[in-house]
Amino acid sequence: MDKYTLEKLDLKIYHEKMKNGLDVYIIPKDNVNGIYATLSTKFGSIYNEFVPIGHKKMVKVPFGVAHFLEHKMFEQKDGKDPFTFYSERGCDANANTSKYKTTYLFSGSNSFSECINYLLDYVQSPYFTDENVEKEKGIIEQEIKMYDDDPYFKMYDGIIYNAFIEHPIKYPISGTVKDIYEITKDDLYLCYNTFYHPSNMFLIITGNVDVNDAMDTVRVNQDGKEFDKLKSIKIKQYDEPNKVAKKEEKIKMDIEIPKLGIGYKIDCSKIKMNINDIKQYLSIVFDLKLGNTSLLNDNLKNLNLITHDIDFTFVNTDKHILVIIMVETEEISKVKKMIEEELQNLDITLEQLDRKKKVKKSNCIYRSDSIYSLNNKIMGNIMSYDEIILDDYKKVEQLNMKDLKNITDNINFDNKTVYIINKS
Amino acid sequence: MKYKKISNYSYNIHIIKTNKFKTVTVEVNFKRKLVKEDITARNMLVNLLCESNMQYKTKRDLTIATEELYDLYYRGMNYISGKYNIMTFDVKFLNEEYTEEGMLNKSIKFLADLIFKPNITKKNNSISFNSDSYNLSYNLLKDSITSMKENPDMYARTRMLENMEPNSYLSYRGYGYIEDLEKLDNKKLYKYYESMLNSDIVDIFVIGNVNERSIVKIIKENFDCIKTFKKPSESHFTRPKKCRLVPKVSKEHQKINQSKLILGYKIDKMTDFELRYVLNVYSYILGGGPDSKLFKTVREENSLCYYISSIGNPLNSILTINAGINKDDYKNAVSLIKKEVSNMKKGKFNNEDIIKAKITYVNSLKELEDNPQSLISLYAGIEYLNSDSFEDRFKKINKVTANDVVKLASKIHLDTIYLLEGDIDG
Repeated sequence: MDKYTLEKLDLKIYHEKMKNGLDVYIIPKDNVNGIYATLSTKFGSIYNEFVPIGHKKMVKVPFGVAHFLEHKMFEQKDGKDPFTFYSERGCDANANTSKYKTTYLFSGSNSFSECINYLLDYVQSPYFTDENVEKEKGIIEQEIKMYDDDPYFKMYDGIIYNAFIEHPIKYPISGTVKDIYEITKDDLYLCYNTFYHPSNMFLIITGNVDVNDAMDTVRVNQDGKEFDKLKSIKIKQYDEPNKVAKKEEKIKMDIEIPKLGIGYKIDCSKIKMNINDIKQYLSIVFDLKLGNTSLLNDNLKNLNLITHDIDFTFVNTDKHILVIIMVETEEISKVKKMIEEELQNLDITLEQLDRKKKVKKSNCIYRSDSIYSLNNKIMGNIMSYDEIILDDYKKVEQLNMKDLKNITDNINFDNKTVYIINKS
Repeated sequence: MKYKKISNYSYNIHIIKTNKFKTVTVEVNFKRKLVKEDITARNMLVNLLCESNMQYKTKRDLTIATEELYDLYYRGMNYISGKYNIMTFDVKFLNEEYTEEGMLNKSIKFLADLIFKPNITKKNNSISFNSDSYNLSYNLLKDSITSMKENPDMYARTRMLENMEPNSYLSYRGYGYIEDLEKLDNKKLYKYYESMLNSDIVDIFVIGNVNERSIVKIIKENFDCIKTFKKPSESHFTRPKKCRLVPKVSKEHQKINQSKLILGYKIDKMTDFELRYVLNVYSYILGGGPDSKLFKTVREENSLCYYISSIGNPLNSILTINAGINKDDYKNAVSLIKKEVSNMKKGKFNNEDIIKAKITYVNSLKELEDNPQSLISLYAGIEYLNSDSFEDRFKKINKVTANDVVKLASKIHLDTIYLLEGDIDG
């Protein structure tokens, strides 16, 4: 077991790689009551073409399989429902699927070793039958419809769909209703056996635990199970063009205020920097240009063109960052024009950069008070950098004008897709 | 953790001293008996006060100032708590240990300035709010009220309550009403603001690793504008009108994919023990989570929905059940729900269910202690709702028996069924 210090946060992080390849991270925090554990596989909605374990050829599975699989992990052969198990111990259990990973989690404040054993056990014992797979379709159909009624979810998914051409990030995490009705038990096993191998997974525990006991419990649990050997997983690579699939889409929904979305697809291959670091800089740029401390946001409000702040978020592949901007307004074309004009000039002053760095540094400390935020930080580090950032302060400190300028000089906002939702 | 209440001033100070957090959180609450017309005015006011002030004339300047204060977080909002309307302002900031000396004072002053130094204009002895700020806040509130319909869940819950009892404490809309907003003007609102400072009941909560003496001194210096003379608060709890013998069924249509089903139940007069403890256990077993009766039956066995839950509301003595379904499954879903509610009356649950409900209650209470804002709301509950202390809660929840749950179940009656029917097929 290795031990490291999370600088400036009065916290330690412990790591051990189990014999089967599972990475385990623990951040003990003794001044809280709660414990939060997340078990994740690096398998999300984008992995739908790959060479399954023990196979030689690439196969393709329907979209939405990762999310479907997440639902079905809660089915156990002994009929016992993991929710019941956790509820008997007063704990909360849940799971979620994103584009890149699937996470199973629980939080609680007692029966820790039972709970952690159970988390590993239920996620490592799939039980899919034709019947239980069929039963889930109606439930997921309702989940999809629920999100379809939310204009912002709809817009978010729509922009990603219209921005990408080849890369499967294009498709919604849950798949469409049509996709999920094609999913079979065999698809689930195929994905499970490949991507739920311990060497493709990681466990993070934050909160009030004894680190030695916790690590021992996990080790005993994992050493007692057998897994096939897994070298590396071959996943289909995509040559994603820089242009967008569709430049504009207009839809109608039963809403009160029309909504405008713009997705800027940015080619990052020319900038010699980790794409996640580029994202850090872009978040500063967009925050200063469109966020609640920007002049544009202020102007739009004073002109009564918007009432709520402009919202923006990022999605990325290994080559592209898609910046998604969303705003609600009665004056779609005026607002669109003003946003586009504002992004013509990306000059940022040192003073502005320093202020945003102060904010980011403060956030490192805020985050360390919460077992949930700490756990999320580690998950984010693994997914983005494949290592733990021990000194977040230093990382923020290193942000500088030169790199910022290099990025702003090398991006252009020509590749965009516009999504408009009007009142029906 | 050490709690102390100081009532020597025209407001109460509640200090929760703990070294659990690297932050200090301060919350100031103004509360007054709920009157329907006030809701909109108070929402307008809280928007306005958080929009700008005398020092920071725009929201942008205000936000930049918070960034300079090491990303101080602030929030203002107005909410309904039974018979009362509470306007709350809070700030959360890093303890000086992690920033620099003087930040405690500066951060609390920032909060006080939001409340006491609004962006005003004086003209011929008459004072009103800055008209730009007024307009911005007006537009924001107007949009918030109108776009409620864009959240079909929230809209359906509101409409169910309005069908249950229009014009009553339990169905008032938290954001307010367009009609009331249109009747409001700048001068009236300023008058309301003054009356709030002079007559609302005020409580200030502080949580963090703070020195009692210095925090009291800082608060005294910054909050001397509150001139409220102490008056006792009434109970926040309300009682619904008599339950309908035949439930009212209403349906509305919207162009959405998923229909929203809401069932509203009224609860006969509960004992104090029932409303604080038994209702919790009851609702947990019936529809408290993925291990509940409703989830198991309606979702897992019949695949009719993705979510379904029941929520007990002790302040208004009602219980609601909500689910998102296909409109064609309406009858089936309602009958399955009714069956589960009736099973509760018949005592068709086991001792394990009771134990699970209790453990969950205890654990969630413990976990709330890990978050400063939740800790404040726990202490606010003691102050406002006469809730028991943590220790007593742990003891009392464990006294709930299966008999208590069945007895409560017999007091719960269906009053209103509401369906927001989705018109998009497929």
